[in-house]
Amino acid sequence: MKLILPYLKKNWLKILTGILCIIIVDGAQLIIPQIIKTAVNTLTTNQIDRYVLAQQCLLIAGLGVAMTILRYQWRILLMGSARDMEKGIRDDLFRQVLELDMSYFDQMRTGDIMTHATSDITHVRMAVGFGLIVLMDVILLGGATLGIMIWTNPKLTALAMIPMPFLILSTKHLGKKMHSLHGTAQESFSQLTEQIRESFFGIRVIKVFNFEKTIEQKVNQESTDYYKKNLKRAIISALLRPMLGFFFNFSSLIIVFYGGFLVMEQRLTPGELVAFLQYMGILAWPIIAIGWMTNLFQRGTASLKRINILLDARPSVQPPQSPIRPSCLEGRIRFNQAGFSYNRQQTVLSNITMDIKPGTRVGITGPPGSGKTSLVQLIPRLYNLNAGNLFIDDHEISTMDPDQVRDHIALMPQEPFLFSGTLEENILLGRKIEKERLKQIIQVCDLTSTIEAMADGLKTLVGERGVTLSGGQKQRVAMARTLIVDKQIIILDDPISQLDTHTAQTVISRLNQMNPGATMIIISHRLSALAACDQIYVMDKGIIADQGRHDQLINSNQFYKDSFRVQQFEEAHDS
Amino acid sequence: MTAKTQAAIPGQENKIRMENLTLLKALWPFIRPCIWMLVFTTLLVFVVTFFELLIPILTQKAIDGFILPVDPGAGINLAGIKITSFTQFGLVFAGIIITAFTIDFGQSISMEYTGQKIILALRCTLFSHMTGLPISYYDKNSSGRLVSRVAGDIENMNEMFTSVLVFIFKDLVLMLGILVVMFFLNAKMAATLSIIVPVVIIGVMVFAKILRKAFRIIRHQIAEINHSFSEGITGVKIIQTTSSKRRFMERFEKLNHEHFTAAMFQIKIFALFMPFIGFLGVISVGAILWTGSIAVINHTLTLGELVAFLSYMKLFFRPLRDLSEKFNLLQNALASAERIVLVLQQQKAPKRTTKSRNLLKNINNIKFENINFSYTPEKPVLKGINFSLKKGKSIGIVGQTGSGKSSIINLLTGFYRPDSGQILVNNIPHNSINIKDIRSQTALVMQDPILFAGTIRENITPKKDLKGDIFLKTALKKANCAFLFEKFSGLDTQIREGGHPLSSGEKQLVCIARAFAFNTDLIIFDEATSYMDSQSEQRVHDAMKKLMEGRLSIIIAHRLSTIRECDKILLLREGRIMEQGSHRQLVSLKGEFHHLLKKEKI
Repeated sequence: MKLILPYLKKNWLKILTGILCIIIVDGAQLIIPQIIKTAVNTLTTNQIDRYVLAQQCLLIAGLGVAMTILRYQWRILLMGSARDMEKGIRDDLFRQVLELDMSYFDQMRTGDIMTHATSDITHVRMAVGFGLIVLMDVILLGGATLGIMIWTNPKLTALAMIPMPFLILSTKHLGKKMHSLHGTAQESFSQLTEQIRESFFGIRVIKVFNFEKTIEQKVNQESTDYYKKNLKRAIISALLRPMLGFFFNFSSLIIVFYGGFLVMEQRLTPGELVAFLQYMGILAWPIIAIGWMTNLFQRGTASLKRINILLDARPSVQPPQSPIRPSCLEGRIRFNQAGFSYNRQQTVLSNITMDIKPGTRVGITGPPGSGKTSLVQLIPRLYNLNAGNLFIDDHEISTMDPDQVRDHIALMPQEPFLFSGTLEENILLGRKIEKERLKQIIQVCDLTSTIEAMADGLKTLVGERGVTLSGGQKQRVAMARTLIVDKQIIILDDPISQLDTHTAQTVISRLNQMNPGATMIIISHRLSALAACDQIYVMDKGIIADQGRHDQLINSNQFYKDSFRVQQFEEAHDS
Repeated sequence: MTAKTQAAIPGQENKIRMENLTLLKALWPFIRPCIWMLVFTTLLVFVVTFFELLIPILTQKAIDGFILPVDPGAGINLAGIKITSFTQFGLVFAGIIITAFTIDFGQSISMEYTGQKIILALRCTLFSHMTGLPISYYDKNSSGRLVSRVAGDIENMNEMFTSVLVFIFKDLVLMLGILVVMFFLNAKMAATLSIIVPVVIIGVMVFAKILRKAFRIIRHQIAEINHSFSEGITGVKIIQTTSSKRRFMERFEKLNHEHFTAAMFQIKIFALFMPFIGFLGVISVGAILWTGSIAVINHTLTLGELVAFLSYMKLFFRPLRDLSEKFNLLQNALASAERIVLVLQQQKAPKRTTKSRNLLKNINNIKFENINFSYTPEKPVLKGINFSLKKGKSIGIVGQTGSGKSSIINLLTGFYRPDSGQILVNNIPHNSINIKDIRSQTALVMQDPILFAGTIRENITPKKDLKGDIFLKTALKKANCAFLFEKFSGLDTQIREGGHPLSSGEKQLVCIARAFAFNTDLIIFDEATSYMDSQSEQRVHDAMKKLMEGRLSIIIAHRLSTIRECDKILLLREGRIMEQGSHRQLVSLKGEFHHLLKKEKI
């Protein structure tokens, strides 16, 4: 509720006016059968006055005009307010997504957050927008119609209402059932979609190993499963609509039949009978709406709860009360007996102590799963440490504002990721950069000729909806993005894994000539890329197994020695 | 397969406009098996409409025959059957209501069933057609777009079969029926009322057109919003470490506001349309009352008929509100149908290009003769490639990114055909052999390790019972996949979407095991070990060496050490073979290879 309330408050005037409009429209709707009633009654008594009749017809037309104007008003006012709320909540959600830290996303599935942003918000909007309108209709229109009917003839009303409880219950029940069946069908559909996506993604493997028949069978199976589940849902929905008609026709039958008797016995005027039939028609909507509305509200509150949980999540990486705000950093990084784990059960890093002096170049290597990436992700505080300390310059990292720390650090994550947009947008990410600098960085990353070869150059669209770049190209774009702003600390996580040896060497040597004052940390398997580093750390199973310079490690560390030997095997062989 | 396809990408989305007849012709094979069901369902539509129209008439008969009898005691005449008692009449009325319900339900079910069945057949056929399309088709179209053909577009068509078509058809029949009945009741009054028909039609058409535009904009923007969320989540690490939160937020707010504006526009259109229809309804009630009352006074209309007129008018306006929306869905479905038909009309990749088929059981040698090849006509990728490979020998291919290494593999595996020149397998022209025969003797391991969701067993041989577990285990062990049995649950390890929980290097090992398990004559490693650290790579190479014995093998690598022991090395640059020979020969040549070697040592 606390999520919706501010929006209700903000738009209270609009909402109130809208509700007022509905009240008037509903009232007008009820008057029309009354006019018809009087007209029909005068017709049967054969005392007709054309002047009065004209008056009645004009009144109906006038009501029609008024209703049209007011209906237009409430639609805009109420539905507009609901849309305004939707927009606000969606903004909040996106802001929250940007604020949350990595450990949150490690636990949540992307798909779930996407659901919050789309269907959950829609459910809330529907519950608030339509829900409000429907609620008004049920109370006003339903109540008043029923009131008039009871006032005209209580017994006839009671009889006509016999089918209605069945109708409400069955709409509610079937609606619920349909919703859950729809859910299962949807699940089966997303499974099918994933199966298809995967097949197209791996089409080369499928073709070359002649897997076509097998994969077709799988897709057929999934399709049939979806077909069956969909059919189940369809049966319910096929039942729902005719059933509504059935119950209403049944009520009409009761009115005609019993009401007819009453007219014959002169206990009911013919006009009243006709009006009764008209009222039954008006009542159709509020009655169907009761079942519909309860489902709408149920779904809306459930969605609201889920959105609230997401919005209430607090990132575990929090700035302290009064953060230290150093205006510039020297670039010293000091780990003191640091420990880290993602889920508190499996220790990823333990007892890490290292002192990286400002302006030095540091290499990190080690077998897969040894904790290299986890270690460097602690520096821009993407995660919190579990034990020990991390100092940037002389400040404990938790005493600083994480955003402020990140302003001084450039990190290139291991998997290159491109946003959909142009190459230029991907490198700049909205930052204002001089043309010269951009050109220089592109040259450092050896992208100049790659970009020149593209028809649109820097304006080439990439990412999900553009050109597909090769792994090496992506990696170099990601590197340009990291280097484009001059930062005091530069961290490159496996930056050349997908480059060919030649390009890798070009990039590394150009990198080494760049901003000599910055502290640079490079993770790599390729030892030639680390050879120029002032200090190299060899990691193994979450600890620092060894450290030293390239020429020292070649002799002292077994892993380093073996890796180097393998990489340089042919060199030794040839010379 | 990467940057090379740039030029071809911008989609085929917009340029298509197909005649509805062409569409029908293309979809006919799927509709034909269900045609009788469709005819039956359509006939039922008429019956349902008939019953729906019957109810107001019954009310009218009740009023004129019993309640306020025009001719007391005469009763009424229903389709030749004389009903004299009001009770009897009530029973008939009840019977008709129940029948109407049953038929309506039956009609809905049979329509759903037929539609779903057609869709199922269409989906399966479309998918199997697509797996047969040439690789170039996949290179030109992003896989996301292709998925939406088989998933989203088919779903849209489903909508067309199951709801839209029936609703539009049913509603139109109903409205037409109402007009006809009204003319029978009282032609003069019906004629007066039918003035509003053109107003209604024009109104619906105008609004439908505007609405379609509004809906399209909203759909597009919702897709953009979803995309922003997914990017924001996947790229969160980059956004947070580049301090670009604010800029991303601003961009999103702008997008969200645009969506809001579009939604408001749509609300406004509806706010005009719905009350407009309501207004016409009220006006016609007034008109009926006026003309009808005068007619009743003049005894040209009975009171019951007046009531019936009022009821019919209500029925007439009811479907109108839905009609515009349904019309919109229909347009949407037709657009989807166009895209599907376009895919179905794509030529499948030919098995071979010659008429006669040469059988191939084993591969003994391969020869490239003067091969030229390009993905797009202006940009040649391979120029005058000549080389040969015999059983028991291996070739290593080196060269920079874009030098044409992978293109050679694309030709050999039949993913693409050369522009000129000839590929010979066992001295038989490549294009006279069924490509499946060649592929069944080929194992390809690519740079991107592709694993499908499922168990390791399914990933290695999806064909059931083809190979025993012991055989598979041996293949895995040979490919250094012992970790599967130590860290995970061996052959039964469940692989999830994207290859989780294996690391990139581990995935590559499993892909290599797949090649081991197939026991083929030709083995191709296309930078198959790029994600591994040097020691794992070395172990894999030792295993590969064993595997390569007595077979033909091609190894593409960017690290020269990988191909050192190949019998022959091809050095490619800009689509040409610059140097060719054994490692020793190339070193003594003191050319480009030598230069590269020296560079790598630094």
